[in-house]
Amino acid sequence: MSTPLRTVQADDASASVLDVTNLRVAFEGDTRTVTAVDGVSFSVRKGRTLAIVGESGSGKSVTSLAVMRLLPEHSARISGSVVFDGRELLEESKSGMRSLRGNRLAMIFQEPMTSLNPSYTVGEQINEVILRHRPISKKEATERAIAMLKLVRIPSPETRYHQYPHNLSGGMRQRVMIAMALACDPELLIADEPTTALDVTIQAQVLELMRELQQKTGTAIILITHDLGVVAESCDDVIVMYAGQVVEQCSVEDLFTFPQHPYTVGLLGSLPRLDEKREQLVAITGTVPDMANPPSGCRFQARCPFRVERCAEMPDLIEVTAGHFSRCWRAPMQDLVP
Amino acid sequence: MIQSASSAPAAKPILEARGLGKSFVVKRSLFGRPLATVGAVDDVSLSLMPGETLAIVGESGCGKSTLGRLLMRLIEPSSGEVFIDGQDVTHASHTAVRAQRRHVQLIFQDPYASLNPRMTIAQTIAEPLMLHDIVPAGQRARRVAELLDMVGLRPEQADRYPHEFSGGQRQRVVIARALASEPKAIICDEAVSALDVSIQAQVLNLLKNLQKRLGIAFVFISHDLGVVKHIADRVAVMYLGKVVEMGTSDEIFAAPRHPYTRALLSAIPVAAPPSHQRSRAARLHGDLPSPLSPPEGCRLHTRCPHTRPDCKSVSMVLEVEAGGHANACAFWRELPAQDAGEIAREPRNPKLEKLFAAFEAMAARPAQTVTEG
Repeated sequence: MSTPLRTVQADDASASVLDVTNLRVAFEGDTRTVTAVDGVSFSVRKGRTLAIVGESGSGKSVTSLAVMRLLPEHSARISGSVVFDGRELLEESKSGMRSLRGNRLAMIFQEPMTSLNPSYTVGEQINEVILRHRPISKKEATERAIAMLKLVRIPSPETRYHQYPHNLSGGMRQRVMIAMALACDPELLIADEPTTALDVTIQAQVLELMRELQQKTGTAIILITHDLGVVAESCDDVIVMYAGQVVEQCSVEDLFTFPQHPYTVGLLGSLPRLDEKREQLVAITGTVPDMANPPSGCRFQARCPFRVERCAEMPDLIEVTAGHFSRCWRAPMQDLVP
Repeated sequence: MIQSASSAPAAKPILEARGLGKSFVVKRSLFGRPLATVGAVDDVSLSLMPGETLAIVGESGCGKSTLGRLLMRLIEPSSGEVFIDGQDVTHASHTAVRAQRRHVQLIFQDPYASLNPRMTIAQTIAEPLMLHDIVPAGQRARRVAELLDMVGLRPEQADRYPHEFSGGQRQRVVIARALASEPKAIICDEAVSALDVSIQAQVLNLLKNLQKRLGIAFVFISHDLGVVKHIADRVAVMYLGKVVEMGTSDEIFAAPRHPYTRALLSAIPVAAPPSHQRSRAARLHGDLPSPLSPPEGCRLHTRCPHTRPDCKSVSMVLEVEAGGHANACAFWRELPAQDAGEIAREPRNPKLEKLFAAFEAMAARPAQTVTEG
């Protein structure tokens, strides 16, 4: 159970694009049920970027797939509420979802080679999206596709339009994916590890491009990543997930200034840093709990150096300072240092 | 040949490459005549001294993994020479190389793919003991237990199969297997890249501790400069098959000279509050050119922010200074000086440092055994 949250500040006029409340996703197997997402709530506002950060198995990708209704219906049990533009997406029909996806809701995945169809030219694939959702002629769609390729700064877009994915480099393919995702001016873009497969110099180019496009179009973005550096450089708000739950939620500025959950403290401490050389990294001992039978109480307790007896009870996500939420009995963390 | 200034001149390098090159044929004619080749590694000279960590960094396709495989003599170089422990193994026979491999071991990125799923981890770790006849059969089980303990696994886990372990634990098993032959050097090819940051930190700490205890030298191949900064004594930066800069870790990170090194450093996203973000050094533009036809002159000129007409015609030579720092940019002295803001600095509030210290101190309090899974 989790307290529903609104991180919307009073002075902010922009409305939230997506409201997720108490989202829960369980996968039923033959012998066991794994609760991958357990009571996650957040909202994304127009023109802002929300980061969902966590390690493998934290439920960050499942959250985004649940929002897009892309999980297999026969095995995933989804409850809670996902409201997009006043519509409950969890109750939307299949055809309703199809007309939203790629149109008003778009998604980019990690591996651009597997998300592009190798047997069609990139131009045809962008055209397909536009023609599916817009009542325009093929010629106009082609013009729009070339304009999109130009927008994501692909050199000589008219030539590239007629090329196949294998003719393009990894960075270029990811740009094509972005062009395709933005072709219908979506209100919400979900990017799941969009730059993880790319080299750092190309990653920097792609992140910069996404930021610029966001300023132009005002698209809200959910950026799913494991890389705290990417969060710091390209997001506004952040939720930190651990074992299916939100453990910390705040602005990016607050998170990196002073985190309020021991897991985040450990994550930040275990990052090798460029400006100092220390003998040992702050390592979080142990590994993530088995999600088929998570520990009762705080899920981080087995790995947490600050645990106390009370951690056997599940803490709520509480507001520690204005707009800064943490699921920890020991918060605020200021009290833990001399 | 470049030696680290700190090592005694008498010390012999464990691994040495002289003018090493490797080109692969990518297209052959009907009769097998090579039509196109790609120069994966081009004229690389370096040496690894006992007990030090040499990092090889670069983006995908720069030839760093090929270089690692050449150093192990897993593949035969097209030009140049490789020495393992002072012995020329460039054209040595299979058996001779195999005997030498006892001294140099390799760890790969993916611990899932590098363990045999049908062997228990005890069998896996005992295999090098058997192959190199290091420990008599009767004592192998004890040695395996010792090795497991050394990498932070419990000896009781010896009879389990790889699928029963998490990724971090598997990488520990791989490290134990590499240690089994008592090597003088281990080549780590992206050894921690597949792991989550918290697990990555555990494995990095383990590697550092092992180095301190056993005096093993590492060649650490990685694309992650943060990790490299943490573990390396010396760094070689590669671009399109060539070393563009080489020097001590401090030099490379505090005062990078080559435009590529600078761009690489400035491209790393820094986990600091947005209000403390540094200004950006000039970015590289465009994509990596095809290695099939690398650009003429300086190979970086197509992407370099400081490119000038002469760059197309200069020959790309590694200019080695007396101190050991080597740099392949012909015009680096004329490059705009880096202002302090460009070099990664992450000012952190002292209170947060105290919190990290508290986390560390408390984490160290219970027994140091690793209880994963």
